[in-house]
Amino acid sequence: MNEGLKGTEIVVKCLKEEKVKHLFGFPGGQLIPLYDQLYEETDIRSILVRHEQGAAHAADGYARASGDPGVCMATSGPGATNLITGLLNATMDSIPVVAFTAQVPTKAIGTDAFQEADTFGITMPITKHNFLVKSTDTLSWTIKGAFKIANTGRKGAVVIDLPNDVQQKRSKEYHHGEVKFAGYNPSIVPNPLQLKRIAQKLVEAERPLILAGGGVILANATEDLRILAEYLGAGVATTLMGKGAIPENHPLSLGMVGMHGRLGANKMINNCDVLLVIGCRFSDRTTGWGLESFAPDAIKIHCDIDSSELNKNIPVDFPLVGDANLVIRDLIKFIKKYEDVKKDTNIWRKRVNQLHSMCEECETVKPNGSKLTPEIIIKTINNFLDDNAIVTTEVGQNQMFAAHYYITKKPRQFISSGGLGTMGFGFPAAIGAKVAKPESQVLDIAGDGSFLMVCQELATAMSEDIPVVVAVLNNSFLGMVRQWQELFWDKRYAGTKLGTIPDFVKLAESFGAYGERVEKASDIEKALKNAFDSGIVSVLDFKIESETNILPMIPPGGRVDEMIGVGRCRHK
Amino acid sequence: MSTQIISVLVEDEAGSLTRMSGMFSRRGINIHSLTVSPSEKEGMSRMTIVTTGDEREIEKVEKQLNKLIEVVKVNILDKNTSVVRDLCLLKVYADKENRAEVIEIANAFKSNIVDISIRTITLEITADPLDIDRFVETMKNFGIKELFRTGVTAISRDVEKKSGG
Repeated sequence: MNEGLKGTEIVVKCLKEEKVKHLFGFPGGQLIPLYDQLYEETDIRSILVRHEQGAAHAADGYARASGDPGVCMATSGPGATNLITGLLNATMDSIPVVAFTAQVPTKAIGTDAFQEADTFGITMPITKHNFLVKSTDTLSWTIKGAFKIANTGRKGAVVIDLPNDVQQKRSKEYHHGEVKFAGYNPSIVPNPLQLKRIAQKLVEAERPLILAGGGVILANATEDLRILAEYLGAGVATTLMGKGAIPENHPLSLGMVGMHGRLGANKMINNCDVLLVIGCRFSDRTTGWGLESFAPDAIKIHCDIDSSELNKNIPVDFPLVGDANLVIRDLIKFIKKYEDVKKDTNIWRKRVNQLHSMCEECETVKPNGSKLTPEIIIKTINNFLDDNAIVTTEVGQNQMFAAHYYITKKPRQFISSGGLGTMGFGFPAAIGAKVAKPESQVLDIAGDGSFLMVCQELATAMSEDIPVVVAVLNNSFLGMVRQWQELFWDKRYAGTKLGTIPDFVKLAESFGAYGERVEKASDIEKALKNAFDSGIVSVLDFKIESETNILPMIPPGGRVDEMIGVGRCRHK
Repeated sequence: MSTQIISVLVEDEAGSLTRMSGMFSRRGINIHSLTVSPSEKEGMSRMTIVTTGDEREIEKVEKQLNKLIEVVKVNILDKNTSVVRDLCLLKVYADKENRAEVIEIANAFKSNIVDISIRTITLEITADPLDIDRFVETMKNFGIKELFRTGVTAISRDVEKKSGG
């Protein structure tokens, strides 16, 4: 049959219709047809990573920075299995990622062929949805459906498994227009009756508090959130994923709540009389333990796009399904109608403002001689970067130091692995973010343990000219686990002392990248300038003390307001 | 904790059964029985799942099922207003000494004899699962050689609306 489009032509045509400009991938035997199709393609840039996990994370970072779905591809078998961590990472944080995995030819499926893996079966529980395409006739329908599923409702990763023959065969079938699924119709328009009730509770509140999650950022609702908070005089606390939902230098911003959150924000959760939670799933890292003691006296309102999150972890008084954007916009509309019953929140507003400045003060870092600490490094990064800069993090102490000390002013500029907590996410995510926003400064706040997991992507960043900066907080330990061992496991540092640490400067240089070691606080700014001025991917090796802790924290089993290590907090 | 019957209408796609059962195992929910059959709608199957849980747990199951792309409709069946059936095939030991007694009991339970050999009788019964439990218990007295049950399938009763007046 020589009629119609080849499978790979259909893939490229669909990608163009979805306005995909960048693909992160790594080839392999069964993926040769698709790579061949992209060989002379000028509208779609195919970025070669050095490990498939990097492709998934880069697509994820691209999606977080741009708001558009990130796309990655890998070959069958090991290529596909190497994507797994990155796909689950995206799904856990509701990030739209579409992954193409090659598969052995349809006739060979089930024969344990070379590089055959049951990708469809393996990716089923870690994605929002997945497809195994058995015929080129259904290919365009599948790809369009995959993009729809990934990027609507509660977003997530979608896998399209593409057998070799499906890529190569021709088909005259091409699906035009929107793909419809009988069982998929994400209801995003909030119920007006419930909105009205919620609006009333909010205006009647004397001590209103908003807890904003990543959903607010995903829905591009941050501007309206600020307006709502200002109107209500409500303090705004965020989750890790919600960082950037409100400018963190805004007087109503209270910072991050939860296990490694601010003491003040956590206490406010239990002091407010009405708690409005938007686009947040009450993860255990947010609520602490003892769920019944989370905002026990507050009227709890929970708005989320995913109805299965409502009443899942924390029972609430007013659940509402809806896209955060519509929810907040409509709430503002309804609240204005209740002008006459609006409570005076001036005292509360002052208290929130006071707490905001108190926390700012407590987190002010004064240079202590030439001592290099994570706090001073991140504060200097904060002052150095401009307002459009994007910061990514790895996972562990580096991430929590960044969450505390990096003041995020705009959405989509703090990119971190929340739900899955994936070490090695930050660097490839930074690469993806830089591809999405080439004009922005992009910096990965890393730990030595995390960076070593993905440092091969230096080759990607060099060959593809993606100049991001990696700031390694190098303490020769797996810092967060070591901190737990110090505090809760009698300082038995099992498996956390990293014996051999590479010379990160030489490592960078071996890839042709820029590397610099920093040992004094006074050298931080100069090093940052050198790195960004170099115009190439850079690694800054910050030698910090081996045993520093990120505090305060909720100890295992503790309630949201029972934090330890509150030495620097004036609010007690 | 009570037994709940969930009826799910799903699109007939490869993998939809795995996706369904996978959701149960991932969320740590036990499935007592699961039946899959064609439905009145072309391209759609009906799955009947029996599980245990309180109201809140079942609500969670319902929401998680609804999230699956292939799931079109989820119904939690009320046992009081549904017809619930299970089919059982049972091979019981029966020789000329007690064959008459086995047949008598089988008749009392309105079960059908579908096969007879010198040493066994094979019975078939379609009934409410609790009735089948009792039937099986009684037959244990004679010794059960083999037992097969299909698992529950169920349908809601239509409630007749009272005509005006």
